[in-house]
Amino acid sequence: MNDAKGSAASHRGLTVGIIACAVVAVIGVALWMVQLSGGMIQTGMRNLDSWGFYITLFMFFVGLSAGGLIISSIPNAFGMKGFGDISRVAIWTSICCTCVAIGFVVVDLGGPLRLWELFVYSNLSSPLMWDIIVLSTYLILSIVYLWAYRREDAGKMSHTAIRVISIIALVVAVGVHTVTAWIFSLSAAHEFWHTALMGPWFVASALDCGTALVLIVVIALQKAGRLTIERSSMVNLAKMLAVFTCVDLYFFACDLLTSGFPGGEGANVVAMLVTGPLAPFFWTQIACMVLACVILFVPRLRTKGGVVLASALVIAGVFCKRCEILVGGFQIPNIEFADVANHMTITNWESGMSLFGYQGLVYWPTPLEFGVALGVVALGGFLLLLGLKYLPLHLTEKTA
Amino acid sequence: MRYGMVIDLKRCSGCKTCSVVCKVANNIPNDIIWNRVLTEGGNAPDTAGGTWDNPEMQHWPVACQHCENPACTKVCPVGATWKDEQTGIVRQDYDKCIGCRMCLAACPYTGVRSFNWEEPAYYADFALGDADAAKHEKHTVEKCIFCTQRVARGEQPACVADCIGRARHFGDLDDPNSEVSKLLASREYTQLHAEFGTKPSVYYLV
Repeated sequence: MNDAKGSAASHRGLTVGIIACAVVAVIGVALWMVQLSGGMIQTGMRNLDSWGFYITLFMFFVGLSAGGLIISSIPNAFGMKGFGDISRVAIWTSICCTCVAIGFVVVDLGGPLRLWELFVYSNLSSPLMWDIIVLSTYLILSIVYLWAYRREDAGKMSHTAIRVISIIALVVAVGVHTVTAWIFSLSAAHEFWHTALMGPWFVASALDCGTALVLIVVIALQKAGRLTIERSSMVNLAKMLAVFTCVDLYFFACDLLTSGFPGGEGANVVAMLVTGPLAPFFWTQIACMVLACVILFVPRLRTKGGVVLASALVIAGVFCKRCEILVGGFQIPNIEFADVANHMTITNWESGMSLFGYQGLVYWPTPLEFGVALGVVALGGFLLLLGLKYLPLHLTEKTA
Repeated sequence: MRYGMVIDLKRCSGCKTCSVVCKVANNIPNDIIWNRVLTEGGNAPDTAGGTWDNPEMQHWPVACQHCENPACTKVCPVGATWKDEQTGIVRQDYDKCIGCRMCLAACPYTGVRSFNWEEPAYYADFALGDADAAKHEKHTVEKCIFCTQRVARGEQPACVADCIGRARHFGDLDDPNSEVSKLLASREYTQLHAEFGTKPSVYYLV
């Protein structure tokens, strides 16, 4: 695996990847300019469904990022035997995901040139403001964390210092995802969002999809001969992933029962998910997560390929959940009186009647949104690969 | 002082004059409606629900509820939407709004806030309505402002002044002798989604 030939090939592969990501990211920026100059009318978002694909992916990437950092910090923070040398890779993955998440907030803004106002006119009662504060703290802290490892390698920092940083990072990582949940759950206006469980539930999702991402990256790096990880470490991570996924499903079950049982407005939320317009997302999520748990819990299926498949299934499941949360919040209007609809009102406005817009999925992204989103993700991929290539992430040295 | 509006549902005929004069007075861009007249009844506007021998229909003029405890002002990260403590009016500063749409997500009154999804366009080549109406901006949020510019001059909001059925009343809810306070004291009323605890300043006489 680790011969000169294989490494050279992976080296060349990285370079190709970096260039490809850079090209897609540039196209994404160009599309974003199209969105800004021609107006956000080119997206699928409208007054009655005012957030869309960008905010879905924002949640999703905050989750990936927080989860990755938590996984790499737990062994450090509690002085346990770690998962080999994966901490640095996990931190770098987190940093890239945080950048992608911030990117998604920026492309969702109507006036990105007014971003400076956030720091001048900060309204500290806004959960979005809290999120911006924790997210920037988190980004800076992750960079410090990585830098601390570098100092430790140079023998200039004690392991205790790393441990302290890892504990702070752990707390902030949990915080960052809880605050992201609060953006949704503190608004009483949407029955589906307004639940105290939203915070813990987001943390659970962060843990499972973050672990899944770390597993995929670690196994890919091992395959490329850039990282060695013990089989037992991988099995431990895989088991943790299964447990986190179960916790995620358990929270969902608790929330559905609590919403649906009294039979009021909450029953509509359950119906919307289980049999209504969001059922495809809901059942895909459940199927992905259950299948992943089966693969991860049965020792015979826990091969490298199996673990990668299970990780991908968990990530897909969590992505579906993000879509459910975002679209589900807008799917049930509070005022169900008939009104005229026009191209500003609701995504499916063509009938001219607002209530008809709720018949299927209330929101679906336009090709432009997919393009911009792909660009933002590519920016993250660009950073990730660049880091893998040039940063001291404790990867096996390339030979020649 | 807390300005509020009292709308007599029994006098509302669903003519939508208030929607039109609101658009004119504030020079609101095409396809944006601050003050909508909704229909409770059928699935389409101005259609009845119920059964053929017992049809039911009620028009509901709905705009910003100018809540005493607004959900929107709390979540705006830059304070572009804010409650004017002098008048109780929930204001909106277009030149400050960053277009994050937190307020649209937080407001429980579905659809009262509008986002300029494109460069504001107008059917007329010239600005309509009040000379001192705020200029609309692309990618910012806007909504009913109780015609702040008119109220500051001691006038009534356009929808109140021009309601052909005299269904709308505007005044100081803190003053027990105001027309609105007297109406609320003498008639049965309801509020939209009082259960959210937003304490709206718009009352509906039923």
